[in-house]
Amino acid sequence: MSILEVHGVSRRFGGLQALSDVSFSVPQGQIVGLIGPNGAGKTTFFSTLVGLIRPDKGSIRLDGESVVGLKPHKVAHRGMTKTFQNVALFGESSVLDNVLTAGLLRHDVDAAREEALKCLDRVGLRAIAHQQAGLLSFPERARVELARALCTGPKVLLLDEVMAALNPVEMQEVMDLIRSLRDDGITLLVVEHHMRAIMTICDRVLVLNFGKLLADGTPQQVANDPQVVEAYLGKSMEKRA
Amino acid sequence: MKRWIAFAIVVVVACLLPLALDPRGYWIRVLTFTLLFAAMAQAWNIIGGLANQTSLGHAAFFGIGAYTSTILLLKFGLSPWIGMVAGGVFGGVAAFIIAIPTMRLQGHYFALATLAFGEVMRVIANVWVSLTGGPGGTSIPFSPPSFANYSFKLLLPHTYIAIAALVITTLIFEWIQRGAMGYRLRAIKENPSAAEVIGIDTTRVKLQAAVISGALMAMLGTLYVQVAVFFDPDTVFSAAGISIRVALVAILGGIGTAIGPILGAFFIIPLEELMNEWFSSSAAGLSQLIFGLILIVVILWRPHGFVTVFRSLRAKFTGGTAR
Repeated sequence: MSILEVHGVSRRFGGLQALSDVSFSVPQGQIVGLIGPNGAGKTTFFSTLVGLIRPDKGSIRLDGESVVGLKPHKVAHRGMTKTFQNVALFGESSVLDNVLTAGLLRHDVDAAREEALKCLDRVGLRAIAHQQAGLLSFPERARVELARALCTGPKVLLLDEVMAALNPVEMQEVMDLIRSLRDDGITLLVVEHHMRAIMTICDRVLVLNFGKLLADGTPQQVANDPQVVEAYLGKSMEKRA
Repeated sequence: MKRWIAFAIVVVVACLLPLALDPRGYWIRVLTFTLLFAAMAQAWNIIGGLANQTSLGHAAFFGIGAYTSTILLLKFGLSPWIGMVAGGVFGGVAAFIIAIPTMRLQGHYFALATLAFGEVMRVIANVWVSLTGGPGGTSIPFSPPSFANYSFKLLLPHTYIAIAALVITTLIFEWIQRGAMGYRLRAIKENPSAAEVIGIDTTRVKLQAAVISGALMAMLGTLYVQVAVFFDPDTVFSAAGISIRVALVAILGGIGTAIGPILGAFFIIPLEELMNEWFSSSAAGLSQLIFGLILIVVILWRPHGFVTVFRSLRAKFTGGTAR
């Protein structure tokens, strides 16, 4: 059975159709890439999945149950959460407290602290657990945010550009981490601009353009899809003529 | 552990302090009100400091507490202790009702909405003469002195009750701050959307904080008027005298810290009394002017409150760094 089923999801902001009739389903344990040009609706789509934005139409089912209309904290409780593109940490708090706060969803304070330390171990930040989160570098903050999302104990984790601004070594580490989360049974949706990373780790890639699902297939299939190439690079000269 | 020893020492000293003052004198009265204002600022600190919602309407809950216990005593002969609990319930309910429309507001908008709420309560209390006695004011009737009647011959028991109130509100504040609710409130303060997405029911947590803060404030209203004996709507629902003063005490002392409201109260309340004592016989308004100037200087000197003086002193002695 699919862990996440999205059917006919649409959302309009004034004159802009941000999402139109998006449908797909994801079996448990896949890494699904979500790509598309800037403004294609990727972040809007993630926000819609977790309940920050309500769709005008369509259904979203997590593990068989509808989550449309639920507040984000309820969706998190059901097992789906996301990271923020521009990183939204609790900047005045320590790294540990940021992650611990997420652990409170399913644990008391002491157990949440244990859980948070485990999550920090996983992203390789345990050494800086007591530093103030707001003072870290951007790549470090992105990882704290990943640890925080992980600490909610998700079934489905939506990662919005967690590899932005990483050097190749760090990027490899995050890719290994994403794979190991998948091996733990977590289903991941990954928005990323870095194509090589997407092509390497994803079992499947969705392409969004102007709020519509343009393609859905293996990384190879998608990379060879002429519509996708057109969306990214524009029409070829022969076609224009 | 060290913190608890320090806390115990402070409480013991606080309990000995009133014994050094003239039991029928003026300063024991000032001390009692100072302790009550510290406790009120601590109650305010739960919503104003931890959730960063600057309420300027806490007089509403304070006045509700003051009138609930007094009316129950006057009309039904109930002990003010029972009235205090009833007032706490009403204060909590009022906080719940006002929190529902206002908690979506932030910053200045929240402050203005709560300020208006306090003023509305003041007007209602002035107009509803059959219930409150109206602008003419109300006196606490005499009851035979006993603890159960909350009636004492001397001021000293009131002082100890005020110490107990401050200790209890401080412990409640610390308990909230260190517990799950404290983590959640800090998360909401810093990024409400992120807090929701990681599973925090932001509406519910803010409501809880508002209700606890409002209920405590109302109970302190009872304690206050038991000492003041006479009061009217303009005093207990006063924006300047209660709402803003309580916020000022917490902000000047150090917002969001347990020690802040205590430092703030022990600076502001006695200072105001001293200014009145020294300058009230000179030009009208001079005492307020000087009081205001001192507050401005202090805010400029320590924008994050007296608590920062404390921290830098501690850093000097322990060789650590000040935060």
